[in-house]
Amino acid sequence: MTLAVPADKLEAFVTLAKEMDVEATDLGNFTDSGYFHCLFEGKTVSYLSMEFLHEGVPQMVIPAKWQPKSLSEPEVETPKNLNDELQKLLSRLNICSKESVVRRYDHEVQAGTVIKPLVGVANDGPSDAAVFRPILDSFTGVVVSHGICPSYSDIDTYHMMACAIDEGLRNYVAVGGDIDHVAGLDNFCWCDPVQSEKTPDGEYKAAQLVRANKALYDYCVAFGVPLISGKDSMKNDYQIGDTKISIPPTVLFSVIGKIADARKSVSMDVKRPDDLVYLLGDTHNELGGSEYYAELGELGSNVPKVDAESALHRYRTLNKAQEQQLVASCHDLSDGGLAVALAEKAFAGGYGIKVSLAKVAADVGMREDQILFSESQSRLLVTVHRENQTTFEALFKGQSCQRIGTVCTQPELLVTGENNKVLISSPIDLLKEAWQAPLREM
Amino acid sequence: MMPKQVKAIVIAGNGTNCEREVAFACQLAGADVADIVHVAELLAGRAKLEDYHFLNLAGGFLDGDDLGSAKAGANRLLNAKIAGSQETIADQIRQFVADGKLVMGVCNGFQLMVKMGLLPALAGGSKQSCSLTFNDGGRFEDRWTWLKVDSDSPCIFTRGLDAVYLPVRHGEGKFVADNKQTLGQLEQQNLAVVKYADVNLHPTMEYPDNPNGSECAIAGICDPTGRLFGLMPHPEAYIHRTHHPRWTREELPEEGMGLWMYQNAISFIREELLK
Repeated sequence: MTLAVPADKLEAFVTLAKEMDVEATDLGNFTDSGYFHCLFEGKTVSYLSMEFLHEGVPQMVIPAKWQPKSLSEPEVETPKNLNDELQKLLSRLNICSKESVVRRYDHEVQAGTVIKPLVGVANDGPSDAAVFRPILDSFTGVVVSHGICPSYSDIDTYHMMACAIDEGLRNYVAVGGDIDHVAGLDNFCWCDPVQSEKTPDGEYKAAQLVRANKALYDYCVAFGVPLISGKDSMKNDYQIGDTKISIPPTVLFSVIGKIADARKSVSMDVKRPDDLVYLLGDTHNELGGSEYYAELGELGSNVPKVDAESALHRYRTLNKAQEQQLVASCHDLSDGGLAVALAEKAFAGGYGIKVSLAKVAADVGMREDQILFSESQSRLLVTVHRENQTTFEALFKGQSCQRIGTVCTQPELLVTGENNKVLISSPIDLLKEAWQAPLREM
Repeated sequence: MMPKQVKAIVIAGNGTNCEREVAFACQLAGADVADIVHVAELLAGRAKLEDYHFLNLAGGFLDGDDLGSAKAGANRLLNAKIAGSQETIADQIRQFVADGKLVMGVCNGFQLMVKMGLLPALAGGSKQSCSLTFNDGGRFEDRWTWLKVDSDSPCIFTRGLDAVYLPVRHGEGKFVADNKQTLGQLEQQNLAVVKYADVNLHPTMEYPDNPNGSECAIAGICDPTGRLFGLMPHPEAYIHRTHHPRWTREELPEEGMGLWMYQNAISFIREELLK
């Protein structure tokens, strides 16, 4: 790294650097010549005007042309056994446990971690976000979370970006992050978007980039989230012979913010039998780019869309409920939708969950598998002790808040449909095994 | 007369990353002073160990863990001369120990003590007889473990303790001794202070309760005086209930179990050294 050191402090600086085993070299000084003058053994090797250094690169013009793909919803047969479908989803690489990787990193160093990446009765449930206390004698916490959903880019990068932002934010509020004291970081990992012989679809890829950035602007403004940093990596293409592989346009949306009292943080695991299970947010027929469709080899067209206004209202209300300590557990719905979130909550907490799909606020005409696996955004699963039911429901009055079931001692996920028809009935150990097995030995 | 102050020092170096929380644990346990001092300041002669009662060697990867965990760091402490003298930091530590003071090494600090020969120092010498090597699993791991405490151990830090629950965060934590005789002596003299245990608090060789395959399930050892103690798990990482991985679902006391070890150290200093 380079540092500017006042001339009268140079000696002290070099002495300190030497004491600390840091190599430091005096390279030069600032002048008012207006030129960047660089010499080697007394001979000039560069002499560039400041104007050229700052303004010398001509503005690039990258052509972009948005052409929506003609996509449609697949004809999916009604699954015979939803237990099997759920287990298959839990074993998918985008959903399964990453514990073997998480344990390889020191996630407690500096002894401030309050919500760890692995939570629950056996220290192995999937946390939505991390909370830590950077100042050890204070209970003010910092919340860190992420959102990422590149599969939606296959339909429309605008909604991919909107969903990544929303996922980052809902993970953040799930653990108790203050939605009004939050910042984001947009990390782009993209394929080459410049039209060329090597990239004949460059105009489309550039348009994907434009659409992603439009959503970035629209949703960060709508949510009131400043972007304080980010990164971009724009040439993620691989070519061997005639085969070219471009990565899907991907944004990792990182979120950082504050929780006033880290002791009010909420983890995702269910806490005690007889607690009430609530679903916050509506469920739409939005399975485009979902894990469920991917498992069936389909893409679909109904990509999830974010309604920032209602989401923001929901997140603010959730913050109030957390502040009043009404929330026993909270988990976001993302890859795999409601069914996966229910399974994760149950096996992380070591108790069963019994819910009725008939209570879910879903679009008219949606099939049971669609309700279970839709990836509609801005939804959260919350459990509440019975003694807090009235206060909790009063807070969410007028908003989408559905009491769909209860936590139970029987260690089973039981989902019923119309007329109490059993749709899913799986021991939580079996679900956990399906979720843990794929990457356990990695 | 001014009451005498308990003074703790935490050594920081290139690669240590737990010195802040160790110093905080010392303060919380009642130390009047808990200074974080860089190795460079000791080598410059600006800070001296003799001004303190409780020496803490913190976790991290001192000097990049070059040549093996804490090995390059151990060589620096053993051999680098303090400015304007022929004295090394190791010489200062030896005097510190001879003065009856306390030393605790956690994780990389434990590795450092073992590789400097400060532990177990069975014959009172400083020849290295044990080591901490790569986990049987072959990888770094962060997980919480139960430790069974040997209640007959002379260890000052574990007085009155039966079991503690603490996180391990290491890649080289497998305790090994140079021969069976060393292991036998550690056991006979009750110097194998803490052992990885199952939930029923029985020492175990089974992964993951024993996270690294340590011989005799040894997680930490002390010297025969009980004043020098090193362990792989991190007591400074459980000093408040919110450090516990299940604090959101269990009723836990405010104070974490790791704090007890620091409280024992501070009490000893007040009662034995400052009397």
